[in-house]
Amino acid sequence: MRKLFLLILAIPMILLAACGGENEANPEQGNESSESGESGEQDLVYATTSDAPGLSPIDTNDSVSSHVIEQIYETLFQRNTETGEIEPRLAESYETPDDNTWVIHLKEDIEFQDGTPFNAEAVKYTFETFLDPDRGAPRASLLAPIDTIDVEDEYTVVLNTSEPYGAMLAALSHSNASIVSPEADQNGDINEEPVGTGPYQFVEWEKGDEIVLEKNADYWRGEPTLEQVTFRVVPSVSTAISMMETGEVHFIDGITSEHSSRIEGNESINLQTNDGTPVYAFGVNYEREPMSNPEFRKALAHAIDRDAYVDTLDGLGTRSDSIVGEQVFGYEEGSENIGYEYDPEKAREIIEENNFDEETIEMLVPNRDMYINMGEVVQAQFSEVGIDVEMEMMDWGTYLDVSAEDEFDVSFFGWSNVTGDGSELLYPVLHSDNIGSSNRARYANDEFDELVDASRQTTDQDERQELIAQANELAVEDAIWVPMHHGVIAAAVHESVDNLELDATGSWELYQVTRE
Amino acid sequence: MSSQTVTGQKVGKVEKDSFFLDIMKRILKNKLAVVGLVIIAIQVLLALFAPIITTYAPDTQNLGARELPIGSEGHWLGTDNHGRDMWSRIVYGARISILVGLGSVALGLVGGVVLGLLSGYYRRLDGIIMRLMDLLFAFPGILLAMLIIAILGTSLVNVVIAISIWSIPNCARIVRGSVLSAKKEEYILAQRSLGSNDRRIMFKHILPNITAPIIVFSTMRMATAILSTSALSYLGLGAQPPTPEWGAMIAAGQDYMWTAPHMTIVPGIAIMLVVFAFNVVGDGLRDALDPNMDLNN
Repeated sequence: MRKLFLLILAIPMILLAACGGENEANPEQGNESSESGESGEQDLVYATTSDAPGLSPIDTNDSVSSHVIEQIYETLFQRNTETGEIEPRLAESYETPDDNTWVIHLKEDIEFQDGTPFNAEAVKYTFETFLDPDRGAPRASLLAPIDTIDVEDEYTVVLNTSEPYGAMLAALSHSNASIVSPEADQNGDINEEPVGTGPYQFVEWEKGDEIVLEKNADYWRGEPTLEQVTFRVVPSVSTAISMMETGEVHFIDGITSEHSSRIEGNESINLQTNDGTPVYAFGVNYEREPMSNPEFRKALAHAIDRDAYVDTLDGLGTRSDSIVGEQVFGYEEGSENIGYEYDPEKAREIIEENNFDEETIEMLVPNRDMYINMGEVVQAQFSEVGIDVEMEMMDWGTYLDVSAEDEFDVSFFGWSNVTGDGSELLYPVLHSDNIGSSNRARYANDEFDELVDASRQTTDQDERQELIAQANELAVEDAIWVPMHHGVIAAAVHESVDNLELDATGSWELYQVTRE
Repeated sequence: MSSQTVTGQKVGKVEKDSFFLDIMKRILKNKLAVVGLVIIAIQVLLALFAPIITTYAPDTQNLGARELPIGSEGHWLGTDNHGRDMWSRIVYGARISILVGLGSVALGLVGGVVLGLLSGYYRRLDGIIMRLMDLLFAFPGILLAMLIIAILGTSLVNVVIAISIWSIPNCARIVRGSVLSAKKEEYILAQRSLGSNDRRIMFKHILPNITAPIIVFSTMRMATAILSTSALSYLGLGAQPPTPEWGAMIAAGQDYMWTAPHMTIVPGIAIMLVVFAFNVVGDGLRDALDPNMDLNN
């Protein structure tokens, strides 16, 4: 009978596999139907696959944290979701008397959620803390060009930069540059108990389970409609979608193509999409042989069938050879075909001519569905032209460490670009300053560096656009990054949720959101 | 020749041929075991003739023909999310599952049999070896395998090593028990009085007489090994893409459960059938090899 027992064991294992480790639903979420008119109908539950590392804009630098931070805190400027223009938020207006001086006038009569007044001192405190090496803010580079900060009067702050900083407004609208309450930061840990000026305030955080926010009744733009917002950790997207089917969850973002047809087939769930700023690319280690050979890189670029790959994404990705995507500042019309077209014959020719087929190259792949998919597609396409590829998969954290070092041949890279600015894409990922950190391709090209430096330093936006486009073209020509696809921001939204707008950078605000 | 005499007579000559024939006869009486044997035979044939019976290579992609359902033209088991032929992947997967099963069981046997023999034969070693085995027993099997893979790194070869290490204590314990009873037999005493050395007694006289429990253990262990390989690959610790390992195929297919359920169901059924087959055959073997069982019953 023991074998029968083993057999019985085998069946649930297979079923388990199918369900992907179903999570126990939270007992308190037992309301059967989402449309039932019980109390809490203005409550919203958002599902995330992992818990936020922290809730302080100063001390974090990741999208999971920033989704929460953006509801609690606010920035001086804000990108308009529809137009992409940068508009004042906590700021009233600004002027630049010269290239190194930014005079920012602030809105008056705004208070933090703990009652501390919002003023020039708060801005000065926030940015100085942000730049303090002792604090070690992970995204400090964002404001690094700022040299000194002066308080001119209660509602006027002056930022003096050491060199002209073209992406200043984009940087000031980055969620990591949110203004924090100086009171709260001095007297407590805002990474655990955040205090900002935003429409929702912090209630509690059960680590690994959920973060609860409630509405800020004194919010300066007027009270929000939602009473309570919960960020619940649901490790599997499949499970989260099932929870949305029963009305336990109302909003999931970061939907990938595997799940889109299931969502589209469900009447109570809408799939909301929006062309985005993220870019995902195949890339080489520029320092290693044979990747340092431009002919070899050209062959690789010719061997990848991006059109066929993007088709597999079912609309949740757009194809373009340009590293700077259409939604990013610096994009130039018509640059989607500036790369090497798919031409396996040509690739094979180059490889045979140069005897590139003699060695096996190692492909580093982060253990995430999207990258595994890319890896399998590219591996098969490379083997068709005679390049042997060995895939090495590793979890996300290890991948980030290994790919920052010179320990791979080729890999896949991504950049979500929260600022939506081309300089803030090309500088971190391809400028030689960042070799060993975010320049994982270890690309070092003086001409490219100069163009990117210039685009960061000039404040003339037309000139910046031109410089970014040139740098972009150079990198594409060098075939360092071969863009696989540009991200489409996709979210599954329950039918009861209205007015949710997704920004091209993947961020969103819940202030104007209502439920019916 | 002798086979006919054996079947006809109640008291047969003790010959090797008749021994195996006897066992075969007993197994063939067990219908479930026959079903198992047939499934195993099919799997072995698939594994042997994989290139002949498939039209596509298991990792040839056709991005234009993704997620085709079962019964599609040219792909009777459909295709997966990269447009790879499911039939090819299942067939090549059969090859992997057999090889990994045989490899890990064989490795485990070598370790287990040697340790079991030593432990059962020498009193002095018994305590040490069995306490070491208890140490390995203290870990739940799959956890032990995961631990070993965490140390060695993820790959199919390391899975084989991990599963074989996990088999050692079970095998050693079974062998030790059999040795303990076998060494009290008179033919061993006879060997000893004739002056045979220990190694000769262990390998020439004890081992051949305790093959029955080892065969049963190995067959059952094949089922565990195949299931564990799939479980580890499902968790991403075993076969790496694009290897068509069944467990890895289930893992890849789980996100497509709602749109292309065959991506998980087909390899799931394959694993289930094979594990079932090895278990019932092991069961049948045990019954057949049990000397206390009446042949005519």
